[in-house]
Amino acid sequence: MTKKTGAAFPYVLLVLVAAPFITMYVGFFLRAFGEGPQLGIFPERFGLSNFSFLWEPITWGLAETTIWVALANTILFASVSGAVVTVVCMLAGYAVSRIEFKGKNTFLVLQLFLHAVPGQILLIAIFFLLYYLHLLHKIPGIALARASLEIPLGVWMTKGFFDAIPWDVERAAMIDGCTRLQVWYKIFLPLVKPGVAAVFIWGFLFAWHDFIYVYTLLPGTAKLMSTLIQSLLATEVIDYGYLAAMSLLYMLPPLTLFVLLQRALLKVPIFGGKGI
Amino acid sequence: MAVSVFTGPSIFLITLFYFIPVLLTLLIAFTDMDRTLQWRFIGLDNFLRLFGVSSRDPFVPRIIRNTVIYVAGTLPLTIFGGLFLSILSMRLRRGMGLFFRSIFFIPRAIPPVVWGFLWAWSFEGTRYGLFNGIRSMLGLPVIHWLIKYPMVIVILANGFLGISLSMLVFSSAIASIPTDLTRAAEIDGATRWQTTRYIIIPLLKWPILTMTAWHLMSFVNSYVYIMLITGGGPYYRTEVWSLYAYHTAFNRYRYGYGASLTTILIVVNIVLLLVVLRTFGLRRMIGRGKIEV
Repeated sequence: MTKKTGAAFPYVLLVLVAAPFITMYVGFFLRAFGEGPQLGIFPERFGLSNFSFLWEPITWGLAETTIWVALANTILFASVSGAVVTVVCMLAGYAVSRIEFKGKNTFLVLQLFLHAVPGQILLIAIFFLLYYLHLLHKIPGIALARASLEIPLGVWMTKGFFDAIPWDVERAAMIDGCTRLQVWYKIFLPLVKPGVAAVFIWGFLFAWHDFIYVYTLLPGTAKLMSTLIQSLLATEVIDYGYLAAMSLLYMLPPLTLFVLLQRALLKVPIFGGKGI
Repeated sequence: MAVSVFTGPSIFLITLFYFIPVLLTLLIAFTDMDRTLQWRFIGLDNFLRLFGVSSRDPFVPRIIRNTVIYVAGTLPLTIFGGLFLSILSMRLRRGMGLFFRSIFFIPRAIPPVVWGFLWAWSFEGTRYGLFNGIRSMLGLPVIHWLIKYPMVIVILANGFLGISLSMLVFSSAIASIPTDLTRAAEIDGATRWQTTRYIIIPLLKWPILTMTAWHLMSFVNSYVYIMLITGGGPYYRTEVWSLYAYHTAFNRYRYGYGASLTTILIVVNIVLLLVVLRTFGLRRMIGRGKIEV
């Protein structure tokens, strides 16, 4: 093999594997902005008629909703979930980073194990649990259950944020008479503000993407973006352009947040205490 | 006391949504709970039925076969595919490598429903599906992908989801290999393939092991994407164990039997965790032995 063909070799292989996926992504994008029947990648003509759900009610079967209701539900679900993950993990992360307590290693390993076990297999029991707690069919209740799935990894994540902050800061505060909780609230939270943002966005994103919890535990009439798209996909006549457009809208907030998340993560003081 | 203020909320939620559900599953597994939500304990009946002792469940052998095929397909695809893509893309210039890695990371960055929709649409059996549309433009007949090769489609869709993670992990591991090692091999006259085979892959031992363990557990339990793409069909051909448990409970309202199916899955999970623990050792799991040079 000559040097030149040797250098081109990885490109050729990668392009071959990537080609079907690039076709899918490009096709999806063009489908959202296309009108009329589409054979293959290119639609007959371009237009915005697929986005009609922005000003018209959405119907499937005999039911009807609007995109705004679905969006509001999704925002409520994701915000509650993100807030729960943030508060709970920021507290636990501080404890495992700073306080020596009995069973700390067990606690950390347990989190690791729970993270490995996908919570979705416990849905039958969670259905009954929420039913007995009178939280079934209620968005905040389901958000609480969904948030719990992210706690194991979240604890490890926040532990990392706190680990990066030097001990001197908190020692000074405690000598001055602060309690642990005050130290946490007054000194640490402001220091890891980008970390707080990162954990919240991360919890928010997972809940925003969630399908199976919402699908199983909410009644079929209350739709979030994910279940709305799924129920339109499950009807007899599927309008793929319409669905592609709706999926684009569904993905827009996460993509924006993803960029923000990366920025927030870059600001987390990893090398010594930045801004102290 | 002070500690419980910090750890309390997380322990509470984990108990409520992990441990109590496990116990509740075990309890429901011994009832014939149906849509009336009445507790009637029926002893071991569900398990006897499941293991084919009395009133055999005719689907169980097929479900087991599907699950084995599914895991045996997705796991190697995830590991070898991830290795293949990370090694190749790390050879390219930085920008190009990043481009290809982004393409293969997209599955994880988009919502499950959209990934499911992409596959259902791309492989739709009429000429309005993406690939069949392209085929009919080229004058080829349409293929009913989801009827003819449902398991292949489901394995690919989930395998590439696994690849998006394994590729990322392997790539960062490759990036952290000191260049001295690969340079030295180059000077000694090693070919690209030899460098990869005898230096890079042995150094990736730890990431490969963790990714294998991680994805083994994740594929044994996964059903959401299958549900979205084929719904377990056509006629149970892609119905894996966890999906069967879900369908039994929520589509056929036989919560008791569904819970007994889940119980088996929980036992499998505990066994897998113990095996992983034995292989890796607890201390090494907490510590981070990424690249051991």
